[in-house]
Amino acid sequence: MFRPVPRASGYFRTDYAQDMALLQTRAERIGLAALVGVLVTLPFIATPFLLDLACQVFLASIGALSLMLLTGYAGQISLGHAGLIAAGAFTTGILTREINAPFWLTLPASALTGIVLGLVFGLPSLRLRGLYLAVSTLALHFIVIYLGGEYETKRGFSTGILIEKPSLGGFKLTDGRAWYFVLLIFAAATLLICINLLRSRSGRAWRAIHTRETVAEALGISISGYKLLAFVISSSMTSVAGCLFAYYRGFVSIEAFDLFLSIQYVAMIIIGGMGSLLGALLGATFVTIFPYAIEALLKLLPNVQKLAGDIFAVNYASFGVVMILFLVLEPLGLVGIWRRIQNYFLLWPFKYKPLASMRK
Amino acid sequence: MTASATVYRERLRRTTAPHLLCERARVTPDSVAFRSKHFGIYRERRWRDYAALVAHAARAMQSLGIGRGERVAIMGDVCEEWMICDLAAQSLGAIVYGIYPTASAAEVEYQMRDGGACVFIAEDQEYVDRLLPIAERLPDLRTILVLDDSAMFGYEHPKLKRFGELLGATETPDLGWLEAQAALVTADDPAFIVYTSGTTGHPKGALVSHGKHLAATDTVVSHYPTLRDKPHRTVVFLPMCHVLGRDVAITLPLISQLVPHFGEDPEDFAVTLFEVAPTVLFMVPRYLQKFASHVLVGILNSSRIKRAAHDFAMRFARPYANRRWNGGSNIVQNTIYRLVQAGVFKPILNKLGFDRLELVVSGGASLPAETMALWHVYGVNVVEMYGQTEEAGGIIAGQRGPFPRPGNVGTAVDGIDVRLAEDGEVLVRSPDLFDGYWRNEEATREIKSADGWLRTGDVGEWRDGALRLIDRARDFMVTAGGKTISPSFIENALRASPYVAEAVVFGHGRKYLTAIIEIDFDTVADWARANDVAYTGFTSLTAHPRISQLIEIEIDKANASLARVEQIKSFRILPKALDPEEEGEPVTPTRKVKRKLMYERFKVLVDGMYDDREERLIAAGAGGVLAQ
Repeated sequence: MFRPVPRASGYFRTDYAQDMALLQTRAERIGLAALVGVLVTLPFIATPFLLDLACQVFLASIGALSLMLLTGYAGQISLGHAGLIAAGAFTTGILTREINAPFWLTLPASALTGIVLGLVFGLPSLRLRGLYLAVSTLALHFIVIYLGGEYETKRGFSTGILIEKPSLGGFKLTDGRAWYFVLLIFAAATLLICINLLRSRSGRAWRAIHTRETVAEALGISISGYKLLAFVISSSMTSVAGCLFAYYRGFVSIEAFDLFLSIQYVAMIIIGGMGSLLGALLGATFVTIFPYAIEALLKLLPNVQKLAGDIFAVNYASFGVVMILFLVLEPLGLVGIWRRIQNYFLLWPFKYKPLASMRK
Repeated sequence: MTASATVYRERLRRTTAPHLLCERARVTPDSVAFRSKHFGIYRERRWRDYAALVAHAARAMQSLGIGRGERVAIMGDVCEEWMICDLAAQSLGAIVYGIYPTASAAEVEYQMRDGGACVFIAEDQEYVDRLLPIAERLPDLRTILVLDDSAMFGYEHPKLKRFGELLGATETPDLGWLEAQAALVTADDPAFIVYTSGTTGHPKGALVSHGKHLAATDTVVSHYPTLRDKPHRTVVFLPMCHVLGRDVAITLPLISQLVPHFGEDPEDFAVTLFEVAPTVLFMVPRYLQKFASHVLVGILNSSRIKRAAHDFAMRFARPYANRRWNGGSNIVQNTIYRLVQAGVFKPILNKLGFDRLELVVSGGASLPAETMALWHVYGVNVVEMYGQTEEAGGIIAGQRGPFPRPGNVGTAVDGIDVRLAEDGEVLVRSPDLFDGYWRNEEATREIKSADGWLRTGDVGEWRDGALRLIDRARDFMVTAGGKTISPSFIENALRASPYVAEAVVFGHGRKYLTAIIEIDFDTVADWARANDVAYTGFTSLTAHPRISQLIEIEIDKANASLARVEQIKSFRILPKALDPEEEGEPVTPTRKVKRKLMYERFKVLVDGMYDDREERLIAAGAGGVLAQ
């Protein structure tokens, strides 16, 4: 997503502020300006359906980015992602129902819930690794869903909790276009936080832990501290996504947070490409749009009516096939494909980096 | 030369580098003097800072009791501290000289004795280690000053001092103090010694005085006025013990708008070039060859489409470069060239950091015409210049360009008289030559005649107003067939191959010519990998028959352009890389080959290429008659 070295010649840094600038070259500045231009004009030309799709992509991006931080960078596998989203959504739902809390209260409350859960469920990671850790995070999922279910039935919201659209500074967020921009800003902020975390001390510590814990510890990195930090930051960001999800849908129910959602998030970072923030964004986009694309494809077939009942099954099945294909054929994910294309042009007219072996 | 230029040069002739530094610090205190990379950041030094650093260092060095006319030796890689200490010592009236970082222990001892330095400045612990074993044998040495003491653990020596501690113990003087110090030094005082990396015998120290050096270096600026007309970035990588390195790092920035950039480490030269993207470079041919060969091998190993694009571009660009040399290209050809340049050549140059280059001056040795032509095809304005240490930092001739036809060293610079002796030797006369060889009157008399003409030792000829160098005067060889041959001309033809790092031709008194080839490890290893040749290291690579075939093809290519008597009939590949750091190795620190030593060292290889059956037969026939 970001690189420490500019790709074009002639960019030398004369102080550390320049060295830390996110955009180094003119090409990058132009690229970003173009991207912002597209993102800003999109809602004014898109249909409501496309707008909704874009909002879903932004929501999924926040979740995928935070999972990428935890799994892709710090190397701590988690299957409790849906549980964390549910925790954020239920915190929001409960607070609005019970005390009619406004947006500016529910959002930090959700983040706080995430922090507490991250801290508690990060503890097993100090002792467990790999598959065992994955199973222990699964517990988080079931506990949150159980508690949410209890709340729903005990308070008589067995069909789910309805949440009013929030208002921001006297402006009620009902319009799809307004939501688009709110979610875009949140997703962009998450991305920025992740970039800055990863290129600073904590990010380097996470990567060191991921590569080899013993060596990281020998380097003076506090393993338990940084592992817990990864869980806490990732969980709080995920819960914030849950809060936004609750408001955006206007409705919270435990059915929306099944184990399949966790799998989907893991799929996002695998398909996108482990260890890359761009990969998280690409994966979130791909996994969100994929079912709609399958549906659209099925509709092109003759005798659509007969197939109507099977769309779900086809969706699940093709999702599984795509997952396997990615794991087997392109372990680096979408970002691997993207990098290969990019390198082809960046290295032009060479195939490999020239002067790589040059010694004085 | 215009009147104002003459006046300006006369002014330089009467001043000193420390004085110019103070002047720049007063006149343009806030413009950037140089940039030097530390921990990833190119630290900017303005003229004000530069002068303050020099003043502080000078004050600190004064406390060591350096007297006027005493010598200070510096050893290490190029770095900003070198410049600062150099100018500081000069402003105290001391004579500075550099020792090549690659010099062997014997060479260091020789230069320390010959120069008689009272202070030895070491860049870091590595050079302290080189000096300490011989320190007791140097009667003149009073202090060893180490600049970077980061690896100096547990060093105890009465003469050893750390630069940082010395600076800390000295108060910071103001610019006025430095000006007062500089005013005590006159333009006629000796400023520095440059040891010529002679290919025969011990190096000789050329003594140069302040004013003459500045006036001589002004010939470079007047020959390439762009240096003065607009700001230019350059990268410093030539060792500062070399006169060209000193020009680029210290002198040219004082008298032009050239801003030198120092990399983190000389090893990172390629990275520094890429990051800085210089507009002007002073190069030695070896690097131009090396970069060119890396590009060519990179293209050879590229994918088919990319290679085809490159070949396609070359097909347009080669005739275009030719037309440009002849000065005739029309607008359509220009446009097509611009297109292929933007599509193919600019991306190549960008990866090297060569894409903003407006001027590349190659000097120090002769540049193979093919190498120069290739860079012209790519659109890099490479020109060749000709100068020697004895010109005190100035040059004798240089191609003006842009894009001059390769094969000569251009026209004589303003303010220097050049004539050819009867045997073709280039003679020069100028008010700004070196003072003489340090403590070697005899050698000075040998090349400097009483009427002021200096013998360069090179043989040249005038062709269309430009000077063409034929060879080093004493480096001709005569074959057994009586043909006089210039080996360096043939060696240049051989070095044009990307796979050949060094070629040495033999054949004096022999029936035919042979060559010893040092392969370019990087490019040959690349080729080997691309062609499924298994190897484990340098020696195993040289021993592989496929590599012999590869070099043979390259030699055949070179032979095609040579006359029959000049053709190489046989060759051997050196089983090891030539390393100037090694004791007794037949290359100088600037990688000039010492032919005689080369022969002694690799006698077996050379003699093995000559069939001496006849001689042996005769010797056997004589049957030891001579012994009786």
